[in-house]
Amino acid sequence: MALDRPAGLPRIGRIDPTAYVVYVGFLLIFAVFAVVLRDSGFLTASNLLNIVQQTAPVTVMAIGMVYVLTAGEIDLSVGSVVAISALSAAVVMREHHWLLGVAAALAAGGAIGLVNGSLVAYGRLPSFLVTLATMGLLAGVARWMTNLQSVPVTDPTFTGLFGSGRLFGIPSLLIWTALAVGLGHYVYRETRFGAHVLATGDSPRAARAAGIKVDRLRLKVMILGSLCAALAGLLYLGRIQGARYTLGETDLLTVIAAVIVGGTRLNGGAGTVVGALVGSLLMGMLNNGLILMGLAVSEQMIVRGLIILAAVALTLREPRR
Amino acid sequence: MRRLFTFMLTAAWLAAGSVLAAETTTKGPHGEAATPAASVTLTPEQEAKVRDGKFTAALSWHTTSDWSAAVGNGAKDEFGRLGIEVVAETDAGFDAARQKSDIETILAKKPSVIVSLPVDPETAPEAYRPALAAGTKLMFVDNAPKGFVHGTDYIAISSADLVQMGAKAGKALADALGSKGKVGYIFHDADFYVTNQRDQSFKATVAATPGMEIAVEQGLADPARAEDIGNAFVAQNPDLDAIYVTWAEPAELVLAALRNAGNTRTKIVTLDLSEPLALDMVKGGNVAAIVADEAYMIGVTAARAAALGLIGESVPPFLAVDAIAVTKDTVKDGWNQSLHRDPPASLGVQ
Repeated sequence: MALDRPAGLPRIGRIDPTAYVVYVGFLLIFAVFAVVLRDSGFLTASNLLNIVQQTAPVTVMAIGMVYVLTAGEIDLSVGSVVAISALSAAVVMREHHWLLGVAAALAAGGAIGLVNGSLVAYGRLPSFLVTLATMGLLAGVARWMTNLQSVPVTDPTFTGLFGSGRLFGIPSLLIWTALAVGLGHYVYRETRFGAHVLATGDSPRAARAAGIKVDRLRLKVMILGSLCAALAGLLYLGRIQGARYTLGETDLLTVIAAVIVGGTRLNGGAGTVVGALVGSLLMGMLNNGLILMGLAVSEQMIVRGLIILAAVALTLREPRR
Repeated sequence: MRRLFTFMLTAAWLAAGSVLAAETTTKGPHGEAATPAASVTLTPEQEAKVRDGKFTAALSWHTTSDWSAAVGNGAKDEFGRLGIEVVAETDAGFDAARQKSDIETILAKKPSVIVSLPVDPETAPEAYRPALAAGTKLMFVDNAPKGFVHGTDYIAISSADLVQMGAKAGKALADALGSKGKVGYIFHDADFYVTNQRDQSFKATVAATPGMEIAVEQGLADPARAEDIGNAFVAQNPDLDAIYVTWAEPAELVLAALRNAGNTRTKIVTLDLSEPLALDMVKGGNVAAIVADEAYMIGVTAARAAALGLIGESVPPFLAVDAIAVTKDTVKDGWNQSLHRDPPASLGVQ
């Protein structure tokens, strides 16, 4: 995937037409829904805006996951981090300024990333198993934190900035999505850090030989993934104006599907932030369109599964490495 | 003086009566008294008015299950009878954020009314506010968003008689054990109004039955862990006479635990119908009784109340259907009454 290779760096990917599949697939599904649901409100500006807003937390998590997967790792604990960060912020905001709540959420995310990352980078443990364990552990902590109680958040500045408000007429979730994708894309494509992530995922040994501090990079990537999840937690908190231990619980597979369908390799060395955005929007659009088609819940699940399978089959048909 | 004494005695008796009533009757989420669901009906004139309105409805579930399917079928059948088209149906998978997205998506179809079971009453106001802003009426099942006002923000709540369910489970178990025995109590360890009321009512019924006691109890957050809890219960209390399990899915796992341990002594009582449990019951296994609500009628009632709300009629705030204790001999009736269909053929009671 030379698309994402920073200029002047060693060739670590290859031009691959399947990289465009997600874009074609997205347009194709969009076109089908636009025709089939022309009388069902699919194409209205408010509905399309809904899709972008509804997918904002997943998009933010997906961007973190692009880095994690590209570096050859995986983070299964992101869903639990969402709940912990949202609950932390909500609890702090009961008594304190909302900025402290935001700081608490990001600190919780950063700390979890630090623990996960340290175990992976310096404890030499596989990230799959480390984060599988912390996923369960953190889900327990989330349940324990407020004794299963939901915590409402009423600070209008916070809820306006993180989810429910608008700035110059633009919904805040749209702005967060644009900022996260813009920054994520820039760092991935244009900075030394992005290049090192790619190089590490492509071949850790070669990366190490080239002088990249692979362990430290793994730690950073795991922290980044957790921080993105913490931000997603804040977006959920602002959007539904309350935190609950189940927040984010079902997001992990959606995030991974969005990232993989978007063109990021599950085993590292190649990825795309813009593809992850499109993958995330594709997931949101599928949910939206299948509901508007008036399908029964079981039918929605079957059709969604088939479409994701088709998308994954097409995107993952890459030459063997 | 004597009149004053009589008055005070009467007042005290009434007060005591109301306390007892508070403990033994189902209350809505805002403390509303329950109104029998059967009292909600439409006159032929009202039905004609509903048909002329060309209304549409959408259904937004907290999750999907046999139970929510029965409620949904009740609602769809009644909406169909009343000429109201159901244009969308969603499943939030117990995710409050997803339910908000579902409601937003549904609104693109501009339904006249949304029938919904809120995942989380605390965060639900934010989920349903766009519907109110769009002029879509709301009819709830089991619970309503915190702070929403009956008659202004929503039409009514249609629900099971949750306290009656727990109490009938307790009574059915007492009948099976001859009002004597040690009971293990597996309750739902989550802030969920429905299971909480049912569980507490069961516990209160057992506590009020002389000769019966809760010997061991354990909360359940993840249904998949029920088998471990069942194993631990009988390992620690080999003379346990029965286990109450908060709903059918974990009860199936507790049954598996008892079977694996070769335990034929310990009875199981649970809530909500399940084919594997009923099969065990008709074969004279561990399952003593399954208490079910009239799920299909909850949906029918929701649709009727929604229709009344759409033509501007007021409906009492909290409508409760009855509970049924299903035992070995009443499986067919139980299935018909609760889910509005015959029991599965495997049960051999057609």
